[in-house]
Amino acid sequence: MQMTVVEAWIEGPLKRFVVDAGAELALLLHPSGQVLAQHGFARAVDVMSACALAAGIHASSAELGRQLDGRPFRGLHHTGRTRQIFLAEAQSPRGAFIFLTVFGPESSLGLVRLYFEELVNGLAAAAPPVDATAGPALAEHFERDLNRNLAVLFGRA
Amino acid sequence: MSARPFAAILDSLTRQRWVTAALVVSERDGIVVESNLQIGQSGDRVAALAGSLYRKARLSARAAGLGAVSFMQLEAPGGRICAVGGGDLVLVVVAEPAVNVGLVRVELLRAVGELLAVGGEVA
Amino acid sequence: MADEVRRLSDELARDPGSRVFVPLGEALRRQGQLDLALKVTLRGLERHPHFADGHDLLARISVDRDDLERAFDEWDMVLRLAPGHLGALRGMGFVCFQQGRLAEAEEYLSAAAQGDDDEQVASALEHVRAARREVAELPRDPSRLPAGTTHDPRYLFADVLSDAEQTALLLDRDGLVLAGAYVAWDGRDVGQEVGAELSGVTDAARRATRHLALGEWTSIVFETEVAVVAMTPSTNDGLLVLATSRATPLGLVRRLLDRCAERARRWQGGRI
Repeated sequence: MQMTVVEAWIEGPLKRFVVDAGAELALLLHPSGQVLAQHGFARAVDVMSACALAAGIHASSAELGRQLDGRPFRGLHHTGRTRQIFLAEAQSPRGAFIFLTVFGPESSLGLVRLYFEELVNGLAAAAPPVDATAGPALAEHFERDLNRNLAVLFGRA
Repeated sequence: MSARPFAAILDSLTRQRWVTAALVVSERDGIVVESNLQIGQSGDRVAALAGSLYRKARLSARAAGLGAVSFMQLEAPGGRICAVGGGDLVLVVVAEPAVNVGLVRVELLRAVGELLAVGGEVA
Repeated sequence: MADEVRRLSDELARDPGSRVFVPLGEALRRQGQLDLALKVTLRGLERHPHFADGHDLLARISVDRDDLERAFDEWDMVLRLAPGHLGALRGMGFVCFQQGRLAEAEEYLSAAAQGDDDEQVASALEHVRAARREVAELPRDPSRLPAGTTHDPRYLFADVLSDAEQTALLLDRDGLVLAGAYVAWDGRDVGQEVGAELSGVTDAARRATRHLALGEWTSIVFETEVAVVAMTPSTNDGLLVLATSRATPLGLVRRLLDRCAERARRWQGGRI
């Protein structure tokens, strides 16, 4: 399954994560829901749905954390029958990203958390200076940027 | 239920000379259930890696028709990792190369019954 | 049968603490509803963790689910709770037979036969004894070869190993057999299958030692129900696997592993 990225600097750290953690699916997105990289997805529509859900879950769990604990929850883990989901915020010099990954019984939550830390460090090290890349999507450009990123990921740009 | 149900097991292991860490790890999740660590050691890291190693050894041995794994030991120039499984829990010891593996093995195998008993209550 | 399940379910619903979960689980098992049978039994055992018949049922469900390892553990638990439990003795005999542990299978079935004159047990016992006789008549381990016969790589470790229950394999980086053999209880060489499964452990070993700053791993030893397995890296990312009987002292296992590794290095270096 191919990995595709909107910005080249993401590819190295994300590839390492996928291999080391044995992830089946991985998705890096802006908190607005704009996709930055994906691994394991076959269709643009699946990426779009996953981004929307991940952004929504992240926003609501952050708010829930604020209400309950005075600070946002940063990570979420859900265990299914055979696969598990890990969703967390990845802080970088370019701001916060949301990271979603799905893994099977060959991996474990401990490994995913371990390699997620490395991913965050890898992204921080690889990120170009902020002014050299485009800023986060403005609300009025959101849909256009989302479609552009999906087109880049799935080869229709 | 005690806040540290495995304290006795872990204490008896870390009392051994050259043992640097002892942990009870959830095999499926690779996360720490309880640990005795030295300052600066990352229990999360050891749990994820040793848990995964034990699980891989267990599943591979089973797939190869060798039955259940009781004791596992990995040796490297910088130290050793020893582990035994009990239910979904794995008891892991990290030690310096000079450790007496025979002694650690006996302690670990002795602890399996207790691990199963306490693990059942914890679960 | 459906009526019986309904009746037993009602009874369990009225009194969740009762032991009726055993006949209910058994009825579900017989109907082939294994997931439901498992659920009912596990719930029952939460309330009655020391109820031998509950563990016996869980073992039988595990056999139906092809989970022999769990079945073994459950019957082992039954025998601790109720030594001499006939169902567990029969079950252990079955599991050991399936795993090729014929001597143990015979022991369990003999014990079962002493407490029960069931024809099925007697017939199973006879079957196991016949299998043992058959194995005894098989030609011995092909790795035991005439001295000096090293042209065939299957026999590379023949003169390093000290008895017929020791076997060694040299695998390449893809887990394919380069030399040696792994002979199963029935005389088949299952080196390729065993090698492919075990070689996967090395990735986890490499990862663990790298992240824990222990240096490159030099050996892994694990004791299983039927063998002691030792592994060490070999030339060109290869892997050497040694298996011995459980009776072999661990210190000797280490020495044999070192000797086999040296033999493999010489062979790979073209010095044999």
